[in-house]
Amino acid sequence: MEKILEKKSLPQWLRKLSSYEIYAPTKEGDLWNFRLVVNPESVDLSHFQTVVSPKKIIFPQREVLLEFNSNEDGVEVREILPEEKPTVIFGVRPCDAKAIILTDKVFGGDFEDPYYWRRRKSTALVGLACTPPPSENCFCLSVDGSPHAKDGLDMLMTDLRDRYFLESLTEKGNDLIKAGKELFQEPKAADKKEAEKIWAESAKKIKRQVKDVKRIPAKLKGMFESALWDEESLSCIRCGICTYLCPTCHCFDINDEIVSSSPLKGERVRTWDNCQFPDFTMHSSGHNPRPDRATRLRQRIFHKFQYFVERFQNYQCTGCGRCVSKCPVRIDIIEVLDKVREYGK
Amino acid sequence: MAKLEELKNEVKRILKEGKVKYAIGYERDTNGLLPKPAFIKKTEEADKLIWEPTCVYNLSRFLVDEKRKMAKEKNPDQRPIGLIIKGCDSRAVVVLLQEKFIKRSDVYLIGVSCENSGVVDERKLQKKLKGKKAEKIEFGEKENFVVTTSEGKIEIPASEILAERCLECKASVPVISDVLLGEKTKRKADNPFKSLERVESMSAEERWAFWKAELDKCIRCYACRSVCPMCYCDECVADTINFAVTADTTAEEKAQKIKWLEKSPVASENFVYHMVRAIHLAGRCIDCGECERVCPLDIPLRFLNKYLEKEAQELFGYEPGFDPEQPSLVACFKDEDPQDFIR
Repeated sequence: MEKILEKKSLPQWLRKLSSYEIYAPTKEGDLWNFRLVVNPESVDLSHFQTVVSPKKIIFPQREVLLEFNSNEDGVEVREILPEEKPTVIFGVRPCDAKAIILTDKVFGGDFEDPYYWRRRKSTALVGLACTPPPSENCFCLSVDGSPHAKDGLDMLMTDLRDRYFLESLTEKGNDLIKAGKELFQEPKAADKKEAEKIWAESAKKIKRQVKDVKRIPAKLKGMFESALWDEESLSCIRCGICTYLCPTCHCFDINDEIVSSSPLKGERVRTWDNCQFPDFTMHSSGHNPRPDRATRLRQRIFHKFQYFVERFQNYQCTGCGRCVSKCPVRIDIIEVLDKVREYGK
Repeated sequence: MAKLEELKNEVKRILKEGKVKYAIGYERDTNGLLPKPAFIKKTEEADKLIWEPTCVYNLSRFLVDEKRKMAKEKNPDQRPIGLIIKGCDSRAVVVLLQEKFIKRSDVYLIGVSCENSGVVDERKLQKKLKGKKAEKIEFGEKENFVVTTSEGKIEIPASEILAERCLECKASVPVISDVLLGEKTKRKADNPFKSLERVESMSAEERWAFWKAELDKCIRCYACRSVCPMCYCDECVADTINFAVTADTTAEEKAQKIKWLEKSPVASENFVYHMVRAIHLAGRCIDCGECERVCPLDIPLRFLNKYLEKEAQELFGYEPGFDPEQPSLVACFKDEDPQDFIR
């Protein structure tokens, strides 16, 4: 289903979606982040790139799994599943939507993670084509993506200056359009042509690329013990920026947060975790199988361009460029992959 | 201003003479404008070094890594590492010396004077250029920067795009070095605590609301801790498992470890984390501003450190990082200390 929406009608549409929790990119200081929409008038979809990807809405950084209480009869344990609230996220970049379908593979399969899927199934993703690319480090074209890709989206919006060209891609998308049906117009052939022209121009503006990326997974196979990891990780300060900001990173930790020790009361909580932290792999014995920066950088690259490719036939990287832009010491995944490809030549 | 050729030649000389095991400076990153830390092991690699107003990083942080690495080696190379330092960075080295974390012979210091200038705040520059992309930034003749964009060269007054900390700089010329490049002209900072006025003018309620909103954004990536040259503890309360756990640590000791804060990025835990970080830097922070620069969420962390810096100065007349022989404020005991609790 294709539609045209006047930009000035966007707040009215959002108001018609009052049965949903709506998230949209919100500018705070100089940065953009996804926030719950309180006032539809203030929604501004001219955004660049949010610092944290929309994964945090479906896979929150903190999630209560269960709570426990001790009483005379013993310990009572109660599972806490997230509420199934219809949710819609506006302004999702195609790379971030693709990241969500990659994460689906991890939380799906033989064991379906009920916490993840409760949120995932009740959330509609409304994409915004990147016109122009939002970051100088965008490289989606190298990893099977594009600035107007539809993978994982329920709807794709393209900014035609005073109007949006909307393409509904799923039932969830159709429902969103039905909710505000009188606000939309039928697109003319010229509208779609204009959108396609904007898409093509935008793709040309993506400057960064990983050349010959298809050769990387096989090349990595023989590079587990390579000296390259030492060289490339020399400046790594072991912070968690690259992984926490990555839209595809999904590792988590589980801890009990005790509210009261007598009587015992608390929550079992899942939080994001991070393979770049030294304590991620630290054993209780004091042994650490990934003891240094080199082995941790290697893990990040191997997971994204080797292990994930073997398991799920996809790169676990969608080319958003956040890890490059935000690295405190400018470790650049594109440069590392270039060196992997050329290594030993 | 320090000449790049002099800098390269000095690095080549110390490598060639075997005075240092390697040198750390700045090189250009792949995107072509900003620098990244450069680890120079061979003389010919010194040609990639740069010295420009974009060289923000405080490289003294890597002294901590080197010390950790040496502790694990059987026969470590005892030669110093060559380190390129600005004035602020030199004060960080002095604090590490004051605290006896490193020895003077661990490092060969190549000081570069910022003179009456400083380094550029990338975010301020982006705003100033309104979407245009800077291709090159150079120190100008007067107190200005010369920025090259696709539309040509423009001059921007230093005060408009200087990093906030440079506007309040106490040492634009390195306070310690083995060789000093550039002039000893100092940058005049009228009020080193000017930026604090913004928070100091807030009422207690406003301040609480301000910090609550700011610290709510924290995702606990710990970049502020990881980038800080003073955050060298082997054991950090922020980690779930502490580094100090070794094969010799007993199960009982492990069981008795107190968990000071949860991993959850919620207001209470974020406050504890940032308070611990700030308090542990009181009388130690030399305001290199790295914590604030690296924060992906733009949390104004300098305010916290700056406030404690001011307290240390006002209450104890103490300024860290100027004299390697001066005992550290928080790590020394004096008979004339006024507090009773310590006696």
